[in-house]
Amino acid sequence: MASHQTGERPGAGEPVRSPPSGSAVLEVKNLSKTYARNQVHALDRINLTIRDGQFASIIGPSGCGKSTLLKIMAGLFPPSAGQVLLTGTPVQGPRPDIGMMFQQATLLPWRTSLDNVLLPIEIRHGSRAAQSRRGLAGELLSLVGLSGFEKAYPGELSGGMAQRVAICRMLVTEPSVLLLDEPFGALDELTRERMNEELQRICTERSATAFMVTHSIAEAVFLADVLFVMSSRPGRISEVIEIDLPRPRDFSVTTEPDFGKIVHHVRQQLDLGAQL
Amino acid sequence: MTTQVTTDDAADAPVVYEETESLLDRVPRAVSITVLGLLGLGIWQAAVSLELISRILLPGPAETFGEIVESAAGIVARDHVFDALWITTQEVILGFIAAAALGFGLGVVVGETKFGQRAVMPYLVGFNALPKVAFAPVFVAWLGFGINSKIMMALFIAFFPVIVDTAAGLASADRDTVMLFRAMGASRWQTLRKLKLPAALPFIFAGLKTAAVFSVVGAVVGEYLGGGKGLGELVRLSAQQLRIDRVFALIFYLSLLGLALFAVIGWIERKIVFWHRADPTDVASA
Repeated sequence: MASHQTGERPGAGEPVRSPPSGSAVLEVKNLSKTYARNQVHALDRINLTIRDGQFASIIGPSGCGKSTLLKIMAGLFPPSAGQVLLTGTPVQGPRPDIGMMFQQATLLPWRTSLDNVLLPIEIRHGSRAAQSRRGLAGELLSLVGLSGFEKAYPGELSGGMAQRVAICRMLVTEPSVLLLDEPFGALDELTRERMNEELQRICTERSATAFMVTHSIAEAVFLADVLFVMSSRPGRISEVIEIDLPRPRDFSVTTEPDFGKIVHHVRQQLDLGAQL
Repeated sequence: MTTQVTTDDAADAPVVYEETESLLDRVPRAVSITVLGLLGLGIWQAAVSLELISRILLPGPAETFGEIVESAAGIVARDHVFDALWITTQEVILGFIAAAALGFGLGVVVGETKFGQRAVMPYLVGFNALPKVAFAPVFVAWLGFGINSKIMMALFIAFFPVIVDTAAGLASADRDTVMLFRAMGASRWQTLRKLKLPAALPFIFAGLKTAAVFSVVGAVVGEYLGGGKGLGELVRLSAQQLRIDRVFALIFYLSLLGLALFAVIGWIERKIVFWHRADPTDVASA
């Protein structure tokens, strides 16, 4: 574990850099978001870099603005200041090279699993293009263990299965970065652990670059190569933690002392933030 | 820490829980419906037999049933009741289709555009507060005594619920899913067609069912106040002749007309909106 305290004026100085393990895919530079005539600083001078193939988690108290940050990174809202760079070009609106996933599976109940997976292609390139990718969508479904469920409707799937379909829908456009907004927050604990292992496997196999917002310290530490800890009001990154636990990790890692140390450290940081 | 396992016979005895559902709720549905219906008929018959109300003003169930059968024979033989039923049916169906089209169109404008929500909706709400029946003579003046003035009345009474339900349905689309569509770069038209309209369908069908019932009301009121040759006019004439048994029989056929339209819409809804859970007010599927 390597930890960088970001000093007395977090984010104000040089961007905090992770060790160079690949080229930067996603860069957030001096990003701020203010609401209601500059009275509320939701996000204050956020700087972060995610490198190719890195899995980044961000954790913080509720209301610290981490979901807002993710939505700005997805191009859904404009920032008040600063910018987001994805593979070198600024994000100024929704982009096809971004894949997103929410707490709810947000599947369309009138479409089969396969047609839900193909939705992003249909939106961007039309029905014909979507039809020609049915094979790819089917492969993705079997990758997450859902072969045989191509023709099932969301109403016939469990919560975990629905989120697996949502994963496939996110992957079908082969985005360069995955933005995950508490993707398994609505699932029960056991399903959640299995989904985390699954997500790790998929991200490792595809060397995906991902950024995940979560409330769960264990989940954040389990999945991440780099963990950003946020404090609230104003939302700032208070610490960046490199997590070098060996991969692939399975959930037995959560009982190991190294894992416990990191979780303990993160909890202390969050408590510290809460006292401010 | 030790855990003590009791091997008492008393503890091993199975615990039997009492049935908590009340006796009334355990009666089979068919039985309760039949009994309730017979009870109503019994009270009706008693009121007539005891002459609580004059037989001229309130015919008994048997006489009414006889009149229903007689009318049915007439309808099958295509007599004047058949002609009247056919005219009213056309008024109701055409009025309903017009109300559905206008209501849906305005509902999309109100539900999908800020302009519609801010500028159009206040006028529609004010419009809905008008005593619509009072416009019947105006429609007769404009469109004559034929079926057009009745179609207009049916449309006029039935279209508003379709607007409100369509607009509410469009707004009911899940917020995260709307966000996902934006993130996928969907155009407004794509979001409307692939997300908001399908999500609105259960609401739209609820509005159409209300409109089906209202368009029967509109057509009959139009006939009461504007003449014509439909069932409403026959009801009015029969009542003037104090043939209350006929009035009841004709009203029975009018309600069959409304029920039939309602049932057709419900059937189409179940075919199209297959993913939506059953509506608790849907009697047919209960």
